[in-house]
Amino acid sequence: MDTWHAHRRAFWTFFLPPTAWLVLFFLAPLALVWGFSFGEKRGLVEIAINGTLENYVRALDPLYLRIFGKSFWFAALTTLICLAVGFPVAVAITFAPPRWKPILLLLTILPFWTNLLIRTYALIAVLRTRGYVNFAAEWGWERADAALAWVGLGDLHLLGERFEPLAMLYNNTAVVFGLVYVHLPFMVLPLYAALDRLERSYLEASLDLGASQLRTFASVVVPLALPGIVSGVIITFIPALGSFLTPDLLGGTDSQMIANVIERQFKSANDWPFGAALSFLLMYVTFFALALRAAASRGRSAMEAA
Amino acid sequence: MNRMTPRRMSRRSLLAGAGAAAAGLTIVPRLGWSAEEAKLNFYNWDTYIGETTLDDFRSATGIEVKMDLFADNDELFAKLKEGNPGYDVIVPTNDYVERMIAAGMLETLDHSKIPNMANITPVFRDAAFDPGRKHSLPYMWGTIGIGYRKSRVSATPESWKHLYDSDEYSGRIAMLGDGSTIVGIGLKYLGYSYNETDPARIKEVEELVIRQKRHIKAFAEDNGQDLLIAGEVDLTMEWNGDILQVMAEDDDIGYTVPKEGGLLWEDTLAIPKGAPHPGNAHEFINFILDAEAGAAIADFIYYATPNEAAKQHLSAEYLENPAIFPPPSVIEISETDKYLGEDHQRLIDETWTRIQAA
Amino acid sequence: MSAAAGRRLAPGPLEYGRRAWMRLTLLATFVFLYAPIATLIAFSFNDSRRNIVWRGFTFKYYEKAWNNDSLIEAFVNSLTIAFVSTLASTVLGTLAAVALWRFRFPFKGPHEAAMALPIVIPEICMGVAMLAFFARIGWPTGLPWPLNLGAITIAHISFSFPFVAVVVRARLANFNRELDEAARDLGASEWQAFRDVLVPYMLPGLVAGALLAFTLSLDDFVITFFTSGPDTVTFPVKVYSMVRFSVTPEVNAASTVLIAITLLITGIALWLQGRSGARQLPGKG
Repeated sequence: MDTWHAHRRAFWTFFLPPTAWLVLFFLAPLALVWGFSFGEKRGLVEIAINGTLENYVRALDPLYLRIFGKSFWFAALTTLICLAVGFPVAVAITFAPPRWKPILLLLTILPFWTNLLIRTYALIAVLRTRGYVNFAAEWGWERADAALAWVGLGDLHLLGERFEPLAMLYNNTAVVFGLVYVHLPFMVLPLYAALDRLERSYLEASLDLGASQLRTFASVVVPLALPGIVSGVIITFIPALGSFLTPDLLGGTDSQMIANVIERQFKSANDWPFGAALSFLLMYVTFFALALRAAASRGRSAMEAA
Repeated sequence: MNRMTPRRMSRRSLLAGAGAAAAGLTIVPRLGWSAEEAKLNFYNWDTYIGETTLDDFRSATGIEVKMDLFADNDELFAKLKEGNPGYDVIVPTNDYVERMIAAGMLETLDHSKIPNMANITPVFRDAAFDPGRKHSLPYMWGTIGIGYRKSRVSATPESWKHLYDSDEYSGRIAMLGDGSTIVGIGLKYLGYSYNETDPARIKEVEELVIRQKRHIKAFAEDNGQDLLIAGEVDLTMEWNGDILQVMAEDDDIGYTVPKEGGLLWEDTLAIPKGAPHPGNAHEFINFILDAEAGAAIADFIYYATPNEAAKQHLSAEYLENPAIFPPPSVIEISETDKYLGEDHQRLIDETWTRIQAA
Repeated sequence: MSAAAGRRLAPGPLEYGRRAWMRLTLLATFVFLYAPIATLIAFSFNDSRRNIVWRGFTFKYYEKAWNNDSLIEAFVNSLTIAFVSTLASTVLGTLAAVALWRFRFPFKGPHEAAMALPIVIPEICMGVAMLAFFARIGWPTGLPWPLNLGAITIAHISFSFPFVAVVVRARLANFNRELDEAARDLGASEWQAFRDVLVPYMLPGLVAGALLAFTLSLDDFVITFFTSGPDTVTFPVKVYSMVRFSVTPEVNAASTVLIAITLLITGIALWLQGRSGARQLPGKG
């Protein structure tokens, strides 16, 4: 790794544009809201920034901490499932013939160019009581029931008196399912980016030397994919944590996530300081987690260099 | 909190009046503010204006209307809170008019520039939320009640009990996913005012809803009518306009305002502070309150119009539809949503968070 | 790794078994991803206003969408914003990723974490921040098209480029940095080393990052809503106000067209990239 002052010009060329953009068009607006989080509402529109910690104290109430906890759990589960589903997909794309790669990549991302809201409604159309999954299940049930009747077991009603549609919507499972549906490309793309043009000779060597497929996978592919996994986890978990539309539309009566609460503070509750405090709690946690990770990985590479 | 879901009632013939309205309007003299450019920025709910209203207005006055869309009152309020980015006419609902007045966000209307105010139904000429109608004029109004599937209920659901306090329709109920409405209607069910502020009574509603939760399928984010027509639920708390849409497509769906009363709402036309074209804005509001232009809008979006003069141009089918114009007995017991201050707002939000977290 | 080598490896017995299994996974995932989209597209041709039963084939909703001027305008606005935002985000994100990968500098950890904040921040919070920011600096409204899209585009770049940075960074992590150093030691200028060594290697990351940035921009509603002015309706803003109640086939038709258009544009882009990619050096190996 180069030190910055050894290549000043190159460093500033790479460093300055994104950093300046971040400071001007992200951190500066953010600072405004950060100020709000230490403020107090005066009437309907005025916010007096007086350094109060009341908003944070209120945000640490067990009521909100439980919702935080639930959101973390939903997001973690979503990330895990995305990883389990996305990894084989990314590997498959990586090993596909070069001609096919862009097409497969495009096919992976294409559904996400449909508006999130429309996509979620489409998902509802597939999953609801009178949706396509249930139509298919009912069709299967009728055939099976008829088959049972045919072999003379009809009177036993082994499959129940009549078809009971599966209730796939309006519960927490539906929320996680929906979150996986929405966030899958956030896992597949970084995994693919890390794995592409993977050193096939490593795999070949490992297999030639008698290691099993599984062993090769665990000790060669996964370590090589690790940076991709880490970045995939980051950009899946974090947005999933901040979802509000999916729990709104697919969830049951107890599926609210922290972003739903935050959204309400900026809207119907009209309590920007509290909404800002909740948002920043979320950001503090992630910020420190990421800063620690960066420090740890730097420590590791320093040790390797030594 | 958005229920503005007028759908294009294409099967309905538009009044031939749209063109006539434009013609009629040319009689109205151009009013003042001659220095303004011929433009107007209108901030409205989607599909909440007549099919040709904006074009008619342009042919009558030469003013080009640019319509931008918001999806709910909260968004409208949040967006204007930091200053008006250039809107001339907005369409807030009554309780938000009250908030915006309290926050000094609305321009005072110059009534002398709006002669068509004479067309307004007398009860709408004054309003508790805007005394003297200094800042807002009525656009459309309606109710919140119960939408239901006729073939799946034992009788017309005449009480909020079926939603709030009964297992008869367990798992087949949807409620509006909006805390203040859930609490307000719950208060009405318990015999209190929709605008009750006593924390003990609000707590009573909270406990009631938490007990009832296992029978409720979903707090629908304003798509209760979709759940109803898809057969996902058989009863849903909804805005009348939403249910009206699906009633047009499915004869098995009905709408009723229970005997405890529901919520009355009124959408208004207002001019936000800092509007770049206030003269054109007055002219536009006046145009909408014109009898024929108002009738063309009402006939198209199918909401109840507060424009008395427009009614002579509207069909009996529209005027006699109880889901659009509820009987006077229902109006009498129903209430409007009042803005009760920020502390109350916070109490309602916390109650709603607890209900969902329970 | 060239295409020829890939073909040489393909018939290996172990590799082949792995592929059948992979194909199955890929197929299952695509069914999962496409079932709802297929329904959506199918119902854009359905002669009923509700997406529940099939009532016959029609093109009328395409006609309606086509004649809906505000929808078309929203459409053009969205694609314009997405295009500019993707381009800028990819450049900025790549620069950031390279800076973090290549250099040691003070406060690097916090810098890296700050770069991730746009990913973390709840959408509504960023929307409000942008709203307050543009209101307070007095950002001009009422500019002629496409300048009126400036505020939205800036906001989109701000939340998109960190995603690109994260993806490209992951790609760079496996890069043998000595190659870059060697190129420069052998007399290549900074620019030549960047263009001929680093960029070809980063390419999959750039493509993945750009795809993500495009998706994010095209789909964003909350932040766009708060940064839009009186005459800057985008497709999601239009759709949200149309749809929060029920999806009409008109929206389905518009979405189908959007898919088709973006598919076409990306197809062309990928084809061009494939042609130029064939002439570039492999990054490694």
